[in-house]
Amino acid sequence: MTDETQAPAAPASAPPYLAADDVGLVARQDFVCPRPFTFKNGQELTGLTLRYETYGTLNSTRDNAVLICHALSGNHHAAGWHTPADKKPGWWNNLIGPGKAVDTRRFFVICANVPGGCSGSTGPSSINPVTGEAYGLRFPALTILDMVRAQKLLLDHLGVAELHTVIGGSMGGMTAMLFAIEFPRLTRRLLAMATTAREGAQAIAFNEVGRQAIMQDPAWLNGDYAREGGPRVGLAIARMMAHITYLSDASMERKFGRRTIQSREQSPQLSAELAQQPTTADFNLQFEVESYLRHQGQTFINRFDANSYLYITRALDQFDLDHAYGSLEKAFAPVLAESLVVGFTSDWLFPPEQNRQIAQALLRAGKRASYAELATDLGHDSFLLESEELYALIRGFLERAPTQTLDFTI
Amino acid sequence: MTQPVEKRTVDMQIIGDWVEPHTRVLDLGCGRGELLDYLVQTKHVSALGVDLDFAKITACVHRGVPAYQGDMISCMASFPARHFDRVICSRTVQELHAPATVIAEALRVARSVTVGFVNHGFWKNRLDLLMRGRKARNAVYTTAWAESRPANPVSVADFEDFCAAEGIRITRRAHLLGDWKTPCPALPNLLAGYALYDLTR
Repeated sequence: MTDETQAPAAPASAPPYLAADDVGLVARQDFVCPRPFTFKNGQELTGLTLRYETYGTLNSTRDNAVLICHALSGNHHAAGWHTPADKKPGWWNNLIGPGKAVDTRRFFVICANVPGGCSGSTGPSSINPVTGEAYGLRFPALTILDMVRAQKLLLDHLGVAELHTVIGGSMGGMTAMLFAIEFPRLTRRLLAMATTAREGAQAIAFNEVGRQAIMQDPAWLNGDYAREGGPRVGLAIARMMAHITYLSDASMERKFGRRTIQSREQSPQLSAELAQQPTTADFNLQFEVESYLRHQGQTFINRFDANSYLYITRALDQFDLDHAYGSLEKAFAPVLAESLVVGFTSDWLFPPEQNRQIAQALLRAGKRASYAELATDLGHDSFLLESEELYALIRGFLERAPTQTLDFTI
Repeated sequence: MTQPVEKRTVDMQIIGDWVEPHTRVLDLGCGRGELLDYLVQTKHVSALGVDLDFAKITACVHRGVPAYQGDMISCMASFPARHFDRVICSRTVQELHAPATVIAEALRVARSVTVGFVNHGFWKNRLDLLMRGRKARNAVYTTAWAESRPANPVSVADFEDFCAAEGIRITRRAHLLGDWKTPCPALPNLLAGYALYDLTR
């Protein structure tokens, strides 16, 4: 997920957090698992904490909860503002709010930072109370299933009896699917976007380049770097590379083209001369796209932990529903949720075909499932798009009355 | 433009009569899901629609009809043989690039296939061409040739010949006159404005 999909609203007379369709100022909360949490690999962790936010109110029947699952670099702050001085709202503020597609007047919306993350939930950068030092690589190996099980404990803690809908894009889509598989009676509707049932070779390859950038950075120190130090160069490079995979050729061309930094500061004639007659090789910033990526890398190192990046990308790599359950149809066999899968035409990280396969497998397994494909040229990050068409689809899926018959298996 | 809506209703009622309750139905070119919604309500079918258009899928999702956005052949190809009880191809067959492939694939994934189409052998359509020398335009095909999607005008005789040649068994027929209501007593290729067929292998 990119950092700049949410442009702050233009300054108006009233601050944006006071807008009628905004959830406004929100507070982070922490949930500490009362019992030791057992990871899929068998390792236990005491005091696992999940940082989360909620918007709206849980109803008396405790069945209006909507769980939002974030992507690789996302976190619990999905909507609203922490302080009036915030430059940006939560990452899915365009979708969540009073009267928005995920209507907080109707739904109790929950979003939690995944275990292994670095935005307040327990992860490799957290201090191990036993040793007094950061876990580093001693943090248990992480899977998407661990993220699902930990968030289930949070739902229990919040008293959620039924998830009206679980929503996620990218890695969040994997989490959402696994919720519907592992907790079928809990999960009534599933909305998965720009995702895959099986992390493919290309996606693993991108993750590996990111990990290598981090691990080859001399400051990585096998994961035992100081809190304020660490492999900042490696993490920034990992982010720059990954960021490209969230965009598309067309969107980058439109946003940057071949515009150069010089052309903004110098006369066009002069920059043309420079381009024709380079006196010395120049590897400093030349193109706007370079400057943009460097900025993305810099922003990221100030908010993300390198070890978390290693752990979470590895969890993505391990995600393969076909393999884990024998086949995709077997994986989806227990699902009781009604599903909607959305692909985006220009997404080359998790292309439409991989999203279509999810819907097809759900249908083959006899489930109620729909597949929609939005034509957009914004690449993988399209799921965060401000699009009335997408809002209408999501609103339509969430707001219609539930069907009487839930199991259509014949 | 109330006429097309009325005609849609007639189509729906006949198909509704043919569809068995509690069966699995796939609608090729489901549009906004009106037919499937009707079948879900009256016959409690397990429905799936296919359409190419995002807005139409949105409409289906909104009314609770599961729908798949994409090409109908590749959609059917993703299902095992006999996954559905019935495939409905209502008023889509004339707009297909490869009707024979679609019907063959439909007969693979379902026990029976319902095909409904405007009969281009209908006398008024013949007159349009014979007297005016123009493409037929009517309540369903309202547009001029240049605004039309790929159309494959088919007649009752064409369709029955096709089924015979392909070894497809016709289990039921419904021929309606030009009002799309009154059953056509004789000479359907000339007198029927609309035709519905139930096919099986």
